Amino acid sequence: MNSNLIARQAKNNIYLPFNGRIEEIIPLAPDVGLFRVRVESQLTYSPGQFFMVSVWGAGEVPISVASLPDEGGVLDLCIRKAGMVTTAIHSLQTGQSIGLRGPYGNGFPLEASKGRDIVVVAGGIGIAPLRPLIHWLIRNPDKAGQVTLLYGSRSPEDMVFRDEIEKWREGGINVVLTVDKGNEKWNGHIGLVTGLWHEVRTDFKKAAAYICGPEIMIKAAMRDLFFLGMPDNRIITTLEAHMKCGVGKCGHCYAGPKYICTDGPVFSYEEIKKHAIL
Amino acid sequence: MKKVLTVCPYCGCGCGLYIHVEDGKITGVSPSRSHPVNRGSLCVKGWNAHEFVSHPDRLKYPMIRQDGRLKKATWAEAINLVAARLEDIKGKYGPDSIGILSSAKCTNEENYLMMKFARAVLGTNNIDHCARLCHSSTVGGLASAFGSGAMTNSISEIADARVIFVIGSNTTEQHPMIAMHMLEAVDRGATLIVADPRRTKIAELSRIHLRHRSGTDVALLMGIMNVILNEGLVDIGFVRRRTENCDSFEEALRRYSPEIVEGITGVKANDIRRAARIYAMEKRSMLFYAMGITQHITGVDNVKACANLIMLTGHIGLPMSGINPLRGQNNVQGACDMGALPNVYTGYQAVTDPKARRKFERAWRRRLPEKSGLTLMEMMDMAYEGSLRAMYITGENPLISDPDLNHEREAMERLEFLVVQDIFINETSEYADVLLPAASYAEKDGTFTNTERRVQLLRKAIQPIGESRPDWEIISELSSAMGYKMSYRGTYEIMEEIALLTPSYAGILQHRLNEGFGLQWPCPDIDHPGTPYLHRKKFARGLGTFITVDFVPPDEPPDEAYPFLLTTGRMYFRYHTGTMCGRTSVLEREEPECFVEINPADAEKLGIKDRSMVRVGSRRGFIDLRAYVTQRTPEGIVFIPFHFKNAAANVITNPATDPDAKIPEYKVCAVKVEPLSRPQKTERPPLIDLETLRIT
Amino acid sequence: MKGEWILDKNHLSYWLRQLRKDRQLIGPLRDEGRDIVFRTVENIHEIVLDCPASLPSPKEFLFPQYEPMLRLNSNPSSPPLRKGVRAVEDLTDKNRRVIFGVRSCDISTLGLLDKFYLGKYRDPYYEQRRKNTLFISVVCNNPEPTCFCIGLATGPYLEKGFDIQLTDLGDRYFLQTGSAEGARTVRSMAFLFRRPTKLDYEDQYEVFLSSKAGFQKRIGLEGVRQMILSGRVKDDFWQWVAGRCFECGGCVYECPLCTCFTVTDRVYPDGIERVRLWDTCLFKGFTRMAGGVIPNEKMVLRTKRWYYHKLIHYPETLGDFGCVGCGRCTITCPGKIDMATIATKIKGLALNGDGE
Repeated sequence: MNSNLIARQAKNNIYLPFNGRIEEIIPLAPDVGLFRVRVESQLTYSPGQFFMVSVWGAGEVPISVASLPDEGGVLDLCIRKAGMVTTAIHSLQTGQSIGLRGPYGNGFPLEASKGRDIVVVAGGIGIAPLRPLIHWLIRNPDKAGQVTLLYGSRSPEDMVFRDEIEKWREGGINVVLTVDKGNEKWNGHIGLVTGLWHEVRTDFKKAAAYICGPEIMIKAAMRDLFFLGMPDNRIITTLEAHMKCGVGKCGHCYAGPKYICTDGPVFSYEEIKKHAIL
Repeated sequence: MKKVLTVCPYCGCGCGLYIHVEDGKITGVSPSRSHPVNRGSLCVKGWNAHEFVSHPDRLKYPMIRQDGRLKKATWAEAINLVAARLEDIKGKYGPDSIGILSSAKCTNEENYLMMKFARAVLGTNNIDHCARLCHSSTVGGLASAFGSGAMTNSISEIADARVIFVIGSNTTEQHPMIAMHMLEAVDRGATLIVADPRRTKIAELSRIHLRHRSGTDVALLMGIMNVILNEGLVDIGFVRRRTENCDSFEEALRRYSPEIVEGITGVKANDIRRAARIYAMEKRSMLFYAMGITQHITGVDNVKACANLIMLTGHIGLPMSGINPLRGQNNVQGACDMGALPNVYTGYQAVTDPKARRKFERAWRRRLPEKSGLTLMEMMDMAYEGSLRAMYITGENPLISDPDLNHEREAMERLEFLVVQDIFINETSEYADVLLPAASYAEKDGTFTNTERRVQLLRKAIQPIGESRPDWEIISELSSAMGYKMSYRGTYEIMEEIALLTPSYAGILQHRLNEGFGLQWPCPDIDHPGTPYLHRKKFARGLGTFITVDFVPPDEPPDEAYPFLLTTGRMYFRYHTGTMCGRTSVLEREEPECFVEINPADAEKLGIKDRSMVRVGSRRGFIDLRAYVTQRTPEGIVFIPFHFKNAAANVITNPATDPDAKIPEYKVCAVKVEPLSRPQKTERPPLIDLETLRIT
Repeated sequence: MKGEWILDKNHLSYWLRQLRKDRQLIGPLRDEGRDIVFRTVENIHEIVLDCPASLPSPKEFLFPQYEPMLRLNSNPSSPPLRKGVRAVEDLTDKNRRVIFGVRSCDISTLGLLDKFYLGKYRDPYYEQRRKNTLFISVVCNNPEPTCFCIGLATGPYLEKGFDIQLTDLGDRYFLQTGSAEGARTVRSMAFLFRRPTKLDYEDQYEVFLSSKAGFQKRIGLEGVRQMILSGRVKDDFWQWVAGRCFECGGCVYECPLCTCFTVTDRVYPDGIERVRLWDTCLFKGFTRMAGGVIPNEKMVLRTKRWYYHKLIHYPETLGDFGCVGCGRCTITCPGKIDMATIATKIKGLALNGDGE
């Protein structure tokens, strides 16, 4: 089998992964690592999309992009060790290759929030898909009004991208942090992110929100924002699901009539209510 | 594409399925539409019976332990080594220092050869198989009551029954295709009565659910019979003509009034009355039971109580009317029929009967041992004590399936020589000196006997994987290497020999099985169409005998230190020790970890939250596992499925056995349950060696 | 494309023998006097011409139960593609097949399956097999008691969507071509066929009529859909359905329109194979996420979803019901909660008042 043939098949076969080289693995929290993967520079993707990331012999998992494509040809993937595949990914080292397919999914509707104040709500590792959004907002200050990030995690140690939070603040983002259980060094909030709405100084009726985190948190945050007057089509979330294909064939990620992989993973509260997705 | 009709390798239902083969590889299975058992359906295990066959883990070549490690060997080396070592041990310590475990997963022909090998070649009756752990009480109990121990009716009769009484069987999960027929009967208006401490799916479909305490089956059945006697529902004509010893039995029965039984079992007296009336007053009443009856120290008594019940009501010897033990393994009925038991030859001909022995001696041209051999549990004990020196284990995994595993491991450790013959490496093979790769069900032919005594043809679909070989070929070769020539040209020749020596199989020859879906024994001659239901005009032993039994509490009832009653069982998506289903992606995924079911009231008392980790301990050991808080299990009882290696329930089960059948009491032991304060993370071990995955 | 011909029955085996020269011929054969199953035809005269619904459906030839997808060779003899990267072999099936004796209901699934598999993302394995398979369907003269295609206009005969459709007129077949490949196949052996006469049309019409009269069930699904959409099918109904589900997956495995699969990697000593297998949404592990969260843990959500998918979601997304009335779930379901039964029961609810 010659290499030309492979290249041709790669174009035709949606299930054939291409290789990315792991440039760097940055530990972010217990069991969570940021995998910086070198990919071809013309590969483009947008915040909210995901890749099917694979290790031969273990399988594939959907992982959201945690970076913007123009950040030097490196794709950031924030991966928590949870199942068999992610455990296999965590056993890889810098310099080794990792399988990728994608990008898949619809991505955040960045145009919908144009010119509006934005509330970004993140829980735990749910910050990962929101990170490129934050970067994009910092880079395009003209595209949005005031941006507030409410970020909650279990403990200060579980808070990922801690080092970048200062940079985000410098970029003009109002960052509010909270944890379920603090430690002696913690001087931020304690409690749920959904208890921090008072920190957001905006007219909710005119703002937009991007939410990602555990399912319970997403549900609570969406409901709260809706009650605070935000229109349901501007309450945006991205959902997680078990997937085998990423391209709407395997059926695992069904939610109501929608496939999270091709119809999502980004949905508005309006869609979620209409199709009973959550 | 080729499609080969064969028999499902999982449970005793014996469903007919097609294996699809494309270019010599299995690509799927599908149900047979006209098969009398499954009629176009399959359970999830049947539907996935194709995947494990070609799994990369398959044992592909013989292995010999050298310097503590198993190393690849040739067939000649392995066979010669086994032959030499067995000869050696037999010479040094006598033939009874060797024990053989045959397999309910192997064909009739293979079990027959294994038994012939033990008795004629090695000269020992120490042969047993896993039926010891499931239905040895049935074989013993029904044999003494009727003279033959098997399901008396056919599965296809169930749909026409009027009353179905299920006791100690989780039929929807463990014999799904039999439950399908039961549900059909219910849809047609039959009354379903289920006696089970747990609220299983079949119990949810029932009209009356008797939730008796585990281990009180004799009392419950006696209570039912007491009502039948007192309310004049006894089939007097039947009892007079077909049975004996009823009078003394009646005496015993008087002691079990429903009120007294309520005190023992916890079942309301009126429910007992209702169940008794419904069961006795209909004529087409079928009784079903499984391991909930047999796996007790009173297993044989439980079976005898069931037998008494059907004799008292005359519910036997007719279609849709009888007593039906549901056998677990695909060929456990066949393995018993073939005499892979320490006390009988084929067709339950006793080894202690000089006439039977002489028949086999003449056929096999060897002197045969006169004394009954050791049972499975006894072999393990003897191995532990050191008087059993070598074991030959085929297609079984005692190091998950036997009770009190810590003791068993030690026993295996102490053996001088252990041969394991299997399709995969399993927990037991870690102790093996020689590993012999066997062919799977799709790679060989032969016959299986399902739970309704239907002898069916297994057909070869693909060539054996790697160097693996069908068990019968391995045994033949080993036997020849030990100086006893076994040269069969095919399994049909072995079947001929079985037919010659076994009255109930006398008319069962492979060419007859090729048309239709097999024959049900007894099939005494070549023109006989098989027997759909047993004991038609008389019992196998002549008159049926009422055997008086009395309620005996379980060996280890809950007490202050160990306040819960643990009962073990199975799950729908899993099968036994997981050798096959653990290598099937869908089945493996469904229930990835072990759990303990506990009633919400108990959980609250102990401060156990749903899905939290708990420690369940008995006097023999403990396991850590997740708690499922559910109403399915009644107060005071906890339930653990036994399939898992990581939290093997049999570490804590009680090895106390029934005095006659030697079946261990898996269904009752005393345990304590404690919440684990710090939630312990159960990491699923990766199925693959991650090192080998590194591509660059 | 469209053509109508007459094939003398005496010429059938010759025709099939010619077709077999460059394709694998698959047809319904009786297995040692028992079931009728679709497999490679060795002796053409053994083909059963008027056969009941096959188990499983012909989808097994387009989307097999077990299908190797990709193979990563770690065999040292296979050269690396680039430095550090080994060749990944695409295991797309290359066999050409002609499947004879398929029923109309199964043919009518192809339109939906094509929409599903060959939409925005094209499934290469399905595509290749679809391209390489020629279907010769036969109008059902004797529908089974389980069949209800007639209520869904997916049988017993089709107006379009088939490659080649045969109608048995006793001593001859009325043959229609409905695709370019079908037309080409017939044209290449034109000498076997003649044009139909008025008598042939009349006979064909008579067969259609008698076939229609043979149906025992006539179930339309639109009314059922309306019942569900109007909220008159209550949860206790679905609870009852779930209580009878054996979780065998049979309905999904048998259904010619169910497409779910799982993917698993098999690690052999000389390489890793990525394989896909039929899977079903009726199992709770189907949606389990790595953390252990199961979105559809309750049985009732899963059984209900299967019906919603076929009756509500399919029409919304692909434009037609996810059911063609082949009756296979009726044959296979051990709990008797198949599409026909459920549809009939739901329609019964309309008469009995609200969901009681």
